[in-house]
Amino acid sequence: MPLNHRTAMNAISYNLRWVRRYRKGLLALVILVPLASGASYICGVQWTSLWKGMAESGALVRLMTPEWDAFAEMLKPAMESVLIALVGTLLGTVLSILFAFTAASNIAPKWLRNSVRFVLGLERALPEIVILLFLVAAFGLGPFAGVLSLTIGCIGMLGKLIADAIEELDPVSLESIEAIGATKIQLLVFGVIQQIMPSIISFALFRFELSIRLSIVLGAVGAGGIGLEMYRAFFLLDYPRATTALVVILAMVFVTERLSEFLRKKIKAEGALK
Amino acid sequence: MKATPHYAFSPASYRQRATIFSGTAILLVAACIFMGFDPSMLFTEFHFVIDLFKEMMPPHFHPLWEDKTIGMAILETLSMAFMGTLIGGGIALVLAFFAATNTMPFRAVRLLVRAILSIQRVIPSLFIILIFVAAVGLGPFAGMLTLVFSTIGTFGQLFAEIIENTAYEPADAIYATGASRWQVIRYVILPQTLPSFTANLFYAYDINIRTAIGLGIFGGGGIGFQLFQAMRLLHYRDALALICLTVLLIVLTEKMSDALRGQLLGGGALK
Repeated sequence: MPLNHRTAMNAISYNLRWVRRYRKGLLALVILVPLASGASYICGVQWTSLWKGMAESGALVRLMTPEWDAFAEMLKPAMESVLIALVGTLLGTVLSILFAFTAASNIAPKWLRNSVRFVLGLERALPEIVILLFLVAAFGLGPFAGVLSLTIGCIGMLGKLIADAIEELDPVSLESIEAIGATKIQLLVFGVIQQIMPSIISFALFRFELSIRLSIVLGAVGAGGIGLEMYRAFFLLDYPRATTALVVILAMVFVTERLSEFLRKKIKAEGALK
Repeated sequence: MKATPHYAFSPASYRQRATIFSGTAILLVAACIFMGFDPSMLFTEFHFVIDLFKEMMPPHFHPLWEDKTIGMAILETLSMAFMGTLIGGGIALVLAFFAATNTMPFRAVRLLVRAILSIQRVIPSLFIILIFVAAVGLGPFAGMLTLVFSTIGTFGQLFAEIIENTAYEPADAIYATGASRWQVIRYVILPQTLPSFTANLFYAYDINIRTAIGLGIFGGGGIGFQLFQAMRLLHYRDALALICLTVLLIVLTEKMSDALRGQLLGGGALK
């Protein structure tokens, strides 16, 4: 019976309306659930062990009481971490301006631009920590490798950002400087750097915030500084000391973040340092 | 009338520039001396880098497919980042609704949730992973938990801002028909924000892959751990192969995440 058949189909499709309505959500579920279960199997997820481990190691309870006497000892490593980040960012910014000139299509020839862009992309793809492992193997432990790896990371990031800013410059202003007989160097100084200085400074400040965070992690791998201090304290199960280091780090991160935000706002308001 | 000479900079601005420049230079030199950082070492000791490169060449690619632990390590890193993004993103999404002004009427709750989110954002992941390693032992589970934590911190605040930036006229219109707060969230806010949530989660996956590689060194397992081992045992040729693999992994994830995000946000919206 065709009629009966159609009613049955209607009934089914009526009951399955929600399938059609939520088909996107269902599709996401069908994809995500097997992926998530596979991934959690590989990760060895055991939530019970988390609760038990947290209770047994007592780390959280012991972390609650920082060792106030250790503050004085933390100051020098903290200073070192800040300086690693600062020097790495400064060097990186200066070098990344040079890289940016060769990576901008309106200044450099095409082959140079493309090859420099490729190198910059490679630097960005390498995490700073991997660069540091390599540099530590070459130069040994210490701030030297730390500063260099931050410099390289900074070039990868700022080089691209500054090159993009140069490429967005108004070609007319460059041509007019060329037309009054400026040399190539004068063109770069007065036509390019002068105009993008505000963005260079705000990129550098942004990168400095990132470098401060990175310098902590890099410290533990071999650059020294407050990160190493915290890692060592954890290694010796000296949790109060680790908390002290954490407090110092939080203060450091907080202050640099505020400072950089304040300066960036100021630059945005004034246009540039006049 | 005497013609005033034209300088590129006015004297006042010249003085300011000179002050900033020389101040920075002095600071830089002082910092280098304090740390014992000698830039000339880069040139005098550069032969160490060349030696290291010589030792690394040619990379040993064959352990990549002969050694099962490497394949497992890649899977571990991928799934660590995946679970971190999924669980962390889910929790961040829920917390974001508690932190946004247009979904949470109580100010105290909003402030509390925002405070939690900003604390999670500033605590360095090094600290978090060391705690989780102490609690659950070495391995990808500790790394995954760290990624969950950091994803909540980074993206909770962002999601809250996305929710607050939704257009309020449709919400008003639906409230006027007598809809509950839950219905407004379901039919006004979710449809507006879901594409950008998903796009941000792809971005989060990209970030988490990078972080996962770093976390491996501190006991998070995965490819970072393998790389650290190879470097420490001076197996430089294996290490170079692993570095190549890492770069490949990161570049592929980035391209994929960018493509998916571009598609979600309707192309062109994202460069």
